[in-house]
Amino acid sequence: MTLLDFARGPGLQGAWLVMVGGTAWRIAGILLLRQRLHLAAPRIGFAGRVRGGLATVFTRFVPRRTFWPRIAVSVGLSSTFHLGLAVIVLGGAPHIQVIHQFFWLTWPSLPKGLVVIVSGLTLASMIALLFRRIYHPVLRLLSTTDDYLSWLLVFLPVLTGILLSGETIASYRTLLTLHILSVELMMVWLPFGKLLHVKLAFYSRAAMGMNFARKGAAT
Amino acid sequence: MNTAEKAMRGFVSDFGPTAALSMESCVHCGRCAEACQFYVQTGDPRYTPIHKIAPFRQAYEREVGPFALIYRLFGLARKVTVDELTSWQDLIYDSCNMCGRCSLICPMGIDIADLVEKARHGMYTAGLAPADYLGLLAEKEHATGSPFRLSVTKFREMLHAIGDQYGVAMHVDEATADIVPTVSSIDLKTYPGSMAAIAKILNHVGESWTFRTDGFDADNVSLTAGDRDGQRATTLGVVQAATTCGAKTLLMPECGHAFTEMRWEAANAFGRKLPFRVMQITEFLAEGLADGRIRVKTVKQRATYHDACQVSRRGGATAAPRTILEALGVDLHELEDAGDANWCCGGGGGVALINRAAPLRQKAFEIKQRQVEATGMDTVYTSCSGCRQTLDHGGKAAQWNKTVGSLLELVADSLRP
Amino acid sequence: MESAETLGEVLGRRGFGRRSLLKFAIAMTSSLALPPALAPVMAANLAKAKRRSVIWLSFQECTGCLETLLRSSSPSIEALIFDFVSLDYQESLMAAAGADAERTLREAVAANKGEYLLAIDGSIPVKDGGVYSMTGGRSNLGMLSEIAADAKAVLAIGTCAAYGGIPKAYPNPTGAAGVEDLISGKPIVNIPGCPPVPEVLSGVLVHFISFGHLPELDDRKRPLAYFGTTIHDQCYRRPFYDQGKFAKSFDDEGARQGWCLFELGCKGPVTHNACASLKWNGGTSFPIESGHGCIGCSEPDFWDAGSFYTSLAGGSSAGWRNTGIALGVGVAGGLAAALSGRRKST
Repeated sequence: MTLLDFARGPGLQGAWLVMVGGTAWRIAGILLLRQRLHLAAPRIGFAGRVRGGLATVFTRFVPRRTFWPRIAVSVGLSSTFHLGLAVIVLGGAPHIQVIHQFFWLTWPSLPKGLVVIVSGLTLASMIALLFRRIYHPVLRLLSTTDDYLSWLLVFLPVLTGILLSGETIASYRTLLTLHILSVELMMVWLPFGKLLHVKLAFYSRAAMGMNFARKGAAT
Repeated sequence: MNTAEKAMRGFVSDFGPTAALSMESCVHCGRCAEACQFYVQTGDPRYTPIHKIAPFRQAYEREVGPFALIYRLFGLARKVTVDELTSWQDLIYDSCNMCGRCSLICPMGIDIADLVEKARHGMYTAGLAPADYLGLLAEKEHATGSPFRLSVTKFREMLHAIGDQYGVAMHVDEATADIVPTVSSIDLKTYPGSMAAIAKILNHVGESWTFRTDGFDADNVSLTAGDRDGQRATTLGVVQAATTCGAKTLLMPECGHAFTEMRWEAANAFGRKLPFRVMQITEFLAEGLADGRIRVKTVKQRATYHDACQVSRRGGATAAPRTILEALGVDLHELEDAGDANWCCGGGGGVALINRAAPLRQKAFEIKQRQVEATGMDTVYTSCSGCRQTLDHGGKAAQWNKTVGSLLELVADSLRP
Repeated sequence: MESAETLGEVLGRRGFGRRSLLKFAIAMTSSLALPPALAPVMAANLAKAKRRSVIWLSFQECTGCLETLLRSSSPSIEALIFDFVSLDYQESLMAAAGADAERTLREAVAANKGEYLLAIDGSIPVKDGGVYSMTGGRSNLGMLSEIAADAKAVLAIGTCAAYGGIPKAYPNPTGAAGVEDLISGKPIVNIPGCPPVPEVLSGVLVHFISFGHLPELDDRKRPLAYFGTTIHDQCYRRPFYDQGKFAKSFDDEGARQGWCLFELGCKGPVTHNACASLKWNGGTSFPIESGHGCIGCSEPDFWDAGSFYTSLAGGSSAGWRNTGIALGVGVAGGLAAALSGRRKST
């Protein structure tokens, strides 16, 4: 078995199962804790937990205008990075292939050249975010091994993906192998570190939204 | 159990899925720092809100988190020492107003203010609340129901004296009443006029009302100190008093945290829905002005308004004071970020009661000072005695010529017979 | 068998002059990626070359490789090169059988000790003492070790001989292995492919005959000149790949327009072979030209690398059942953690 066969076979299966199992564990472990009571009468006009929760899920994608001047760099870089990733994952033809293969969903792809340009921007924003993390006093203080590891495990797939698209510094086989393996490493780590915010952000926002909407408070 | 372990247990003693999600979701983006008055004013990264609960992360991971079993089995979580916790005291108490501005900016929807409250549970349990004032008051409140150890007789005497002084009829300890107002200990100590104002307005409304000496002090110092038992005892005392006289409305004074506690948490401590409505005084006034129970003269005045975080941003009553000011005909010039994104005066979360925090508090006050000056107004109204006191003190320290007024008193002074 | 006649003389008899040989040498040096200056040297050496003995052993195989080589078309010089080597033992082609055949083999080995080329097609079963493939009572493994010992070099022809091929595919009941896994200390050339491109074998032979040694090999012992690039690198449909134009099914508009077959499972990007440049059947075409993706037959374990029709961007699914189990285990673990957490919270 070549490394590529491993990556496309048992590697992928194993990474998927770890990701699914680990995610289920962590989220179940959180959500099955004892619910706190909310016996106070909600504010008049409370539209219900679902509406309240959903609203915050969406509103927190964009910070309130008043905060913008102080967080413009953070918002700019992280938006570029997140939107870039979305374009790459949802727009790149090979990625749509993967999604189609496993989930039977498909949609038209974006031109390869565009995806490569976006990948470049994504990579650049990630590097800038890393520098910020290292040099900004607040971020340096907050950062843990998880932050750097998670950064690396997202950075590697983007990097190998760009190299793969050009097929220059190594053979397609080598680059494809590295690309798939790097994605699998990320999948394995995803449930255990900050990367799970891809799911937790929504749960957390919804929980806050439900809580605050009862009070009629700002969400 | 050593002190640090006690603190850790105290922190997780009130954890449900929402708090757990808050612990789990942080991506360390650092934006919360930019929303915090203490970071913004000092530039010190230690004041980053989410960093303030850092030592308690290990407690969560070891005791409650989804991988707690693994953490315990392999001893993965770092042990926190008492020294470390002691050095964290100024982050959990002195430099957090629990104003929730950070909760508003957080892209992950983490209620950091709530986590700080839980961290205070831990600190208090371990005896690490700042003793110089806040801790001391909380202990008194826990033991006597009043942070200033005000006896029932003393309170009764005080109320009658106020009635005489301001020429209003006081109702004290009547057996039944529809409305039961409560007071804040800051009012008792510094702003007796606000109690006269409540009496005047309630007399004007004409419904039956009474102060209850068996449950009058609503400003829950225990809440801000982190004493869960004291918080509960104080709250239940007030609930009991109001229930006894068959109140339909429990009226919260001009106080932010008192409102938060009684409006949103008291029912949980009580174990079922409260048998009466809980209203912050501005909500009551706005409602009364709208339905005509309260009639006021127009006030020819230009002023600005300072929101109490717990009433506006965290309490959902942002509109009420504006309705009142409009009804009074006050020409309102809003502060920058007014309403839900308002900056705390610097005294919230019990910080006003920590003497050593005065210089830091003053730094936070500078934001308010700048904002008020930018409006060009001479008068700032507010509807929280904590804010009012902080603004008064801050103004005095900065040799400021602005007047800080109570919205309640303004209404009381403008009543139309 | 051994003949004093040189290749030049043989070719001369068949009507190929010096000029023809030089043209052939120029083509060959180009095909082998040698400097053009070597063409006259090659032509001169070829003219002087004596016959070479080749002993060909067939193990676990389907004879496809041999068929392919025999199908070389038209009386070209290339075809004559095959004629020129002295194929002293090849079970399928030789007239002799039984004890005669075995004697032929012994004689050929004795007569050309240390000089013959050993060609192998098919994989070698090693499980259970190699009983799964025997010739005249001897296991393939035994024959290989014995006859390789006195060979000048070993040519592993086809994917089976090179890497084990289809006999080695899961679950590999015979313990099949390729030549390079079993022989050491001998120069080995792998010419994988199922079947291999015939021109690659002639290229290797010409190089060996003209220069007396094997051409430059890559890290998988394949002639670099033929295996240095992938099908994808040389594919005439590559521009469509770069433009992102893919056929989505074998009968859609894209397929009719000749767009890239990547999404239909083409393994061209990871397959090293010369199909796209040398083509098949006398340069007629290669699979992609016929509208089917490359199946990667010249790569190790190609049979076990998932479906031919699964895109390289993808892989094998863990399946719903396993996913369900992982979910279940996860939720159970989370529940246990939450219950333990509930006791801490009052």
